[in-house]
Amino acid sequence: MKKILVVEDELAYLKLLHDQLTAKGYEVLEAKNGKAGLEMAKNEKPDLILLDIRMPIMDGMTMLGLLRQDENGKNTKVIMLTNLEPDDKIVGKVVKDQPMYYFVKSNTKLEDLTEKIHDVLSE
Amino acid sequence: MKPDPPTDFYKPIFDNMFDGLAYCQMLFNRQSNPVDWIYLKVNKNFEKLTGLKEAEGKKVTELIPGIHESNPELFEIYGRVSKTGKPEKFETYVAPLSRWFLISVYCPKKNYFVAIFQDTTASKQILKDLEDAKTAARNVLEDLQVEKETLAYANSKDEALLASIADGVIATDRDGRITLMNRAAQKMLGRRFAEVQRKSAFDTIPLLDGEGNPIPHEKRPLHIALAGTTTTTDPTTEFTYYYMCGGGTKFPIAIKASPVFLDKEIIGAIVVFSDISREIEVDRAKSEFVSLASHQLRTPLGITKWYLEVLQKDNYINSAPKTVQDYFNQLAKSNERVLSLVGELLSVSRIDQGHVKDSPKQANIGDAVHDVVAEMQPLAQNKKVELRLEMKQAKLPNMFIDPLRFHEVIENLVTNAIEYTPSPGKVDVVTDKNDGAALISVKDTGVGISEADQKKLFTKFFRSQKAIESNPEGSGLGLYVVKSYVEGWGGKISVESIEGKGSTFLINLPINRTKNGGDNL
Repeated sequence: MKKILVVEDELAYLKLLHDQLTAKGYEVLEAKNGKAGLEMAKNEKPDLILLDIRMPIMDGMTMLGLLRQDENGKNTKVIMLTNLEPDDKIVGKVVKDQPMYYFVKSNTKLEDLTEKIHDVLSE
Repeated sequence: MKPDPPTDFYKPIFDNMFDGLAYCQMLFNRQSNPVDWIYLKVNKNFEKLTGLKEAEGKKVTELIPGIHESNPELFEIYGRVSKTGKPEKFETYVAPLSRWFLISVYCPKKNYFVAIFQDTTASKQILKDLEDAKTAARNVLEDLQVEKETLAYANSKDEALLASIADGVIATDRDGRITLMNRAAQKMLGRRFAEVQRKSAFDTIPLLDGEGNPIPHEKRPLHIALAGTTTTTDPTTEFTYYYMCGGGTKFPIAIKASPVFLDKEIIGAIVVFSDISREIEVDRAKSEFVSLASHQLRTPLGITKWYLEVLQKDNYINSAPKTVQDYFNQLAKSNERVLSLVGELLSVSRIDQGHVKDSPKQANIGDAVHDVVAEMQPLAQNKKVELRLEMKQAKLPNMFIDPLRFHEVIENLVTNAIEYTPSPGKVDVVTDKNDGAALISVKDTGVGISEADQKKLFTKFFRSQKAIESNPEGSGLGLYVVKSYVEGWGGKISVESIEGKGSTFLINLPINRTKNGGDNL
């Protein structure tokens, strides 16, 4: 069973993603900020991380940077899942830390996201 | 003792002289006041000079009625001379005869007098004309003085007016040399008028762009005004000009220049500017607020979007009564509307803050236009509007452009065209090419845009009354975003429209962009 870590501070998103992805047969892990997400990523070695950017304690871009420095984490598949439009700063980090996709949640249908998750995990 | 000369010795003398001569007897009343005289003898020229005929033996009051009233001095003088025997000489105007006379009078025996006189009317007239001319000249001089004072007053009033204007005012001659700089301008620029007077405004007062580079002369509003191609330069909307203040820091300005005409000739130009630091700061704060608020708004809207999607997909709604399905669809539609509005607000605030990241790559814009038209067909069919694409050139070339934004621009124009065209109507999208530029036009048979509205069409939040009536849901941001993108690519967008007939939007894009990728709009 593929393991997906969702790092997201909004409980409503977290709950919906958990329910929908579980229903599709994935094991879903949850973290509510970057710091907890990084810990869990290192311990659980998920197949894919869905990563929000704006979060308390540690934001998503910082967590991604630290994850890429980790021996196991540097090749982990990551989909950025945020409501921020990429500005110069974010684009710079995205180029450097190589997440696989960057989705603006409010511009994306949930169905398209789950399809993309399926594709990424089938590679 | 010599004998008296004979009487006829004098007669030819008297008759041949130029002067008039009259020998008269003075008549007095009881109070010894002179009241009349009788002409006893007159010479030949008497008649010529006075115009009086057959005067001898007649009283003056018979010959010249009204003489007593017009020339009482004659009675007085002649009376005095007749009485005292002392000769006198005087000049007088005899109104009833309309003549001036220079008269010598003496007394040959008591109560008699002889008057010898010349007609001096002609010389008197010359003198009078001279006097009149003098008076006239004096009057003109006085008028001139008054005029001069009035002008001086008006002039100093104008100068005081100009000096007191709160905006900076700089006037130049036709070569751009400074002829006037008001107080506000001197204060803002930290320059004294005396320092820059008669010097070139182009050299002494550099105009800068946002990076602090000087704007080339030919692009400066002053140059454009002096060239005379415009009555007043438009304030720029695409970017801000800066002036340098005395301390060497630059400040943003709103600037306008107008040519000054005298007899259809440009004799100079006048530049008016104001410091807009505060306006820019307020605008920036506003944009930041909009950006922050929009991001915050997106989270709950995005959550709602996904939950609604799941509800619909999972058959809860499909199996519900029709009313519930309708209500649900309204909820979903409303949510999408707010989301797209927030998206547009974010685009605008990013454009305003200069944060738009263009991600250009090689893309075929012909194909992109084709795709948009294909995607829009369902919307057009739904509204019973015929949507057609004509590609005048077999293929538009590849361009280095952000494909998503280009798609957004064309989609925006086509959506608008369909939106504002009543059924049955037509929307024609035409692509063409001329030297160096791709041309894309979107022509509709819609409600049209009035000339006044055309000017404001591309500004933020502007919506024409017609647009509000036919589509109350629009945000007034779409065309602003379109224009910002197109101009960011070095292109131009224009509109032609006749109210009630339709509108045509034309995009002109340079194919070989000189800039490299990744530029900020």
